[in-house]
Amino acid sequence: MRTVCIIGVGMTKFARFPESNVIELGRTAALNALKDSGVDKKDIQVAYAGHARTGQLYNRECGVGQSILWELGISGIPISSVGNFCSSGSTALRDAWMAIGTGMYDVAMAIGVEKLTGREGKGRPLTSDGVELLTVMGFSPPVYFGNVVTRHMEEYGTTREQLAMVAVKNRKHAGPNPRCQYREPITIEEVLNSPVIVGPLTLLNCCPTTDGSAAAILCSKEVAGKYTSKPVEIAASALSSGPYEKCKDITSFKSDRQAALEAYETAGIGPEDIDFAEVHDCFTIAEIVHYEDFGFCKKGEGGRLVEQGMTGMDGKIPVSPSGGLMSRGHPIGATGLAQISEAVWQLRGAAENQVEGAKVAFTHCAGGFQDTIELGDVQSSAVTILKRGW
Amino acid sequence: MTTDDSGSETQALEDLIDPKLSPLIQLPGSCSEKPHLIGSKCKSCKEIFFPKRVICPNCLKEEEVEDILLSNKGKLYTYCIVKAAPLGFDAPYAIGYVDLPEGLRIFSPLAECDQEHIKINMELELVVDKIREDETGKAVYGYKFKPASL
Repeated sequence: MRTVCIIGVGMTKFARFPESNVIELGRTAALNALKDSGVDKKDIQVAYAGHARTGQLYNRECGVGQSILWELGISGIPISSVGNFCSSGSTALRDAWMAIGTGMYDVAMAIGVEKLTGREGKGRPLTSDGVELLTVMGFSPPVYFGNVVTRHMEEYGTTREQLAMVAVKNRKHAGPNPRCQYREPITIEEVLNSPVIVGPLTLLNCCPTTDGSAAAILCSKEVAGKYTSKPVEIAASALSSGPYEKCKDITSFKSDRQAALEAYETAGIGPEDIDFAEVHDCFTIAEIVHYEDFGFCKKGEGGRLVEQGMTGMDGKIPVSPSGGLMSRGHPIGATGLAQISEAVWQLRGAAENQVEGAKVAFTHCAGGFQDTIELGDVQSSAVTILKRGW
Repeated sequence: MTTDDSGSETQALEDLIDPKLSPLIQLPGSCSEKPHLIGSKCKSCKEIFFPKRVICPNCLKEEEVEDILLSNKGKLYTYCIVKAAPLGFDAPYAIGYVDLPEGLRIFSPLAECDQEHIKINMELELVVDKIREDETGKAVYGYKFKPASL
């Protein structure tokens, strides 16, 4: 594999856009990424579009990438859809990385998009994709994570207040970030007293319903200098499905551990070398579990890590300086590339909530459940490590 | 007469069970007075699965996997209390993961679980009970675990 760089990123604001559609959202993000990169549209040789619910919600199972790029005059090249649950955008990035890394192409685009406000069932949790057996019995993602909370509290003494501290921290981080759906500061009491969704998780422990899109332009390190003096290198990109395991521990995700381990090995670094992380904080408890699975702290210490402020802006490893899914929202297929965009701005020193001197970034998306009744792991976990390429 | 009555009761209950869950549940009848979940066991590697698998993922042999009745007793591994329920479900209700003696950790709605008294590691037993209502308001049944009777 040759070294691949990200030379341009772009996003829409993440918010509720009831009048918009996935093509308009995607077009805006793709155009922003193109402008940011300085790449001519004719130079894009291949593109991957991540989206997870456009089939179910808008009868657009395929062709989302083609339709978006058609509007920007990009056609006659290989374009394909990438569906991989909450990691769809990250997987699109990984496919673009492989396409260039293997030497087959020099310049690629990865785009992620989702529109969730059009869905039916307002006020009810989004059900998980493709899990009919579990769904008929009342399963939804907050049910899974509610079960994680109860067990994590029992085994490690994690508290509701510690969960709330994740929400408060990420909302504080979102304050200066104009792309986040929610930016007003919140308090621990407000999180604890918000309506219960799936006890112990209250509303403000859950990421909101959001529309949005994000995109990245990638190229080989050899040609990156033509476009920018600040190319961001992809030091590692790892993807894992959920391993099958008898009596799985619900307080840890093996797929995440595997992906992180592979990414650390490829990049030749460890958790102590990371300057900040954007993790999949779909629920507050998820972020706490991620701290432990990625080695930011020992197993069981996640609640105390956030309580001690170690994952805040002044801590040893700021987590979700962009505001995270908790504040930005989680338009499923777009999230992975939104994390990448925010991480690239951080490494360039151009983020609104800047981690001073950030040189190495860790991003992570995970999601999807196996349609089986035995407790399973998440079905897609993607970890990307980025570093300054200058 | 008695046999016929119990047969028709079983049939009536069978008709109420969600069609996706029906192949997983052995109703009380000739084999047992209590309901059981139907799993499968690979004759070669002895691994047990729920729901049943056609192909053993370890051995990749189809003919080796046989149906088995799983224990109808278990222990609560973890749980949560659903307040914002999917359509058709009557909140609040408890739902969690149950450890069976066969070494399976399975998803299950919980019956008769008072929020104040529900506890990790509590002993449970399998029941067939209403889980939700369909679009027409008709009760749909499935399996649940409830606190074990002493």
